[in-house]
Amino acid sequence: MRHVFQVRIGPVGFRVGSDWRAPVARLEDLYAAYPRPEDGIPDFTVRLFAARPWRRWLRPSVTLGGDFVLPEAAPLPLSQGLLAAEMAMNLQMALGQRRYLLLHASTVERDGRALLMTGLSGAGKSTLAALLAARGWRLMGDEFALVDPETGRVHAFPRLVSLKNGAIPIVRAALPDARFGPLIAGTPKGDIRHLVPDAAAIARMDQPAEPALILFPRFGFAPARRPLGPSEVFVRLTQASTNYVALGERGFDALTRLVREVPARAIDYPDAEAAIAEVEALWAGL
Amino acid sequence: MSEQDETPPAEGTTRRRALMLGAVGASAIVSIRPALAQTNASVINCEIPVPDAGRAGSYIAADGSVVPAGTPGAFPPATFAFKGEDVKTALGGGQLPGTTYEQSQAYVKYIRRLQSGTSGFTCFASLQMPRG
Amino acid sequence: MAERLFHAEPAEALRIVPLDDFTLVFHRPSGLTHLVTAPAPEILAILAGGPRTRDALLQRLAEAYDLADPSPEALDARLAELVAAGLVRAA
Repeated sequence: MRHVFQVRIGPVGFRVGSDWRAPVARLEDLYAAYPRPEDGIPDFTVRLFAARPWRRWLRPSVTLGGDFVLPEAAPLPLSQGLLAAEMAMNLQMALGQRRYLLLHASTVERDGRALLMTGLSGAGKSTLAALLAARGWRLMGDEFALVDPETGRVHAFPRLVSLKNGAIPIVRAALPDARFGPLIAGTPKGDIRHLVPDAAAIARMDQPAEPALILFPRFGFAPARRPLGPSEVFVRLTQASTNYVALGERGFDALTRLVREVPARAIDYPDAEAAIAEVEALWAGL
Repeated sequence: MSEQDETPPAEGTTRRRALMLGAVGASAIVSIRPALAQTNASVINCEIPVPDAGRAGSYIAADGSVVPAGTPGAFPPATFAFKGEDVKTALGGGQLPGTTYEQSQAYVKYIRRLQSGTSGFTCFASLQMPRG
Repeated sequence: MAERLFHAEPAEALRIVPLDDFTLVFHRPSGLTHLVTAPAPEILAILAGGPRTRDALLQRLAEAYDLADPSPEALDARLAELVAAGLVRAA
């Protein structure tokens, strides 16, 4: 493993080893403004490797490895190496994170308070987070919200924002000065492009926030909003967490506290404009 | 939960909260199950080998159970692992690529029986989760 | 056949958090979380005071609540669920 990349994202340090230079070069470029792991000691290791020696050169294919692996993870072509690295980092968090309760949510912050948007892939969480960042909200993350069981606060984990298909031109238009990674076409999810979080998001990644609102957005429906009771939110969030069960009683404490203290709404929206307006209205009404 | 009752309570009794035991077939408990599923889409691009690597070489019977190689009427292992999208289509009534109709049926039944711990299980679990 | 006695898990084994129509129960020995609704929390509260047979439990429920459907079969079903979830023991 001749190529190595190290980065710290919020409270988590990663080390990525790769059999090829290209994915590491991409990571170095896009994460250039980020710090290195604290004291040089990463929390998780990712390995991007060739499963067979000839796979380094012949239709090069990147197998995802690291501290935590899933045997059914399919290898990706080298042209999608950046995607492989991002997926592998996600996998380390999903399977290995025990310090924080993980919720599959995008998170933005304003005035020290956090808005969490959670739901299935395709519901528009990443797009909404990027568009809110364009309107002055601080981006805390688009994949995982980290909830500290001791304090109830949300900690930032601002990795590259993964935008798919139709979301790409929308966000490029809203953030003309932002840095984007390469267009990765032909992935199982279609076209993907990564947005680099802005300087404010990176500079403030060590500032946690108090969760103030939880939204369950659904894209592509007539506008509607519905308050959610705490037990419904609780069950939905256990399904949006990869480590709730593994955390045991700490996870129970963190999640019961969250659903008892933070209001939640399900919102349906036809387009991004409507969603942003709805979010701002709900936030103002808190 | 208490109901409004117009008639005053009889002498000597106290108001009690209404409660129902519920039907025999109903349920009052839901146990929270672990969910790797939700984040699976962004975490891995998954594949399901048939059968799993631990039983490589074994055949798949028409009912989806794993049987010794060469068992009459059973199907040989799939030559390649199936992609998540293909399995999702097959679970919805389509056919797995590179298979005959009967083979696909047997493989899909095998996949439906996957248990936690066998390779392919988390991929299957993620495909099952409702997308709506 | 002797009447079975139903025992609640000891108090320190459970974390019980009522939310709305549902109550959360965290079972420390198993690490499992259960979402329960009426009449499960009420049954657990009565059994927390000491083990009871099914009939004694039914009687206590009928005294403490306005029980619309005081059916032994229904209570059997509720108890079976609680036993299956590990929150109640039958001895």
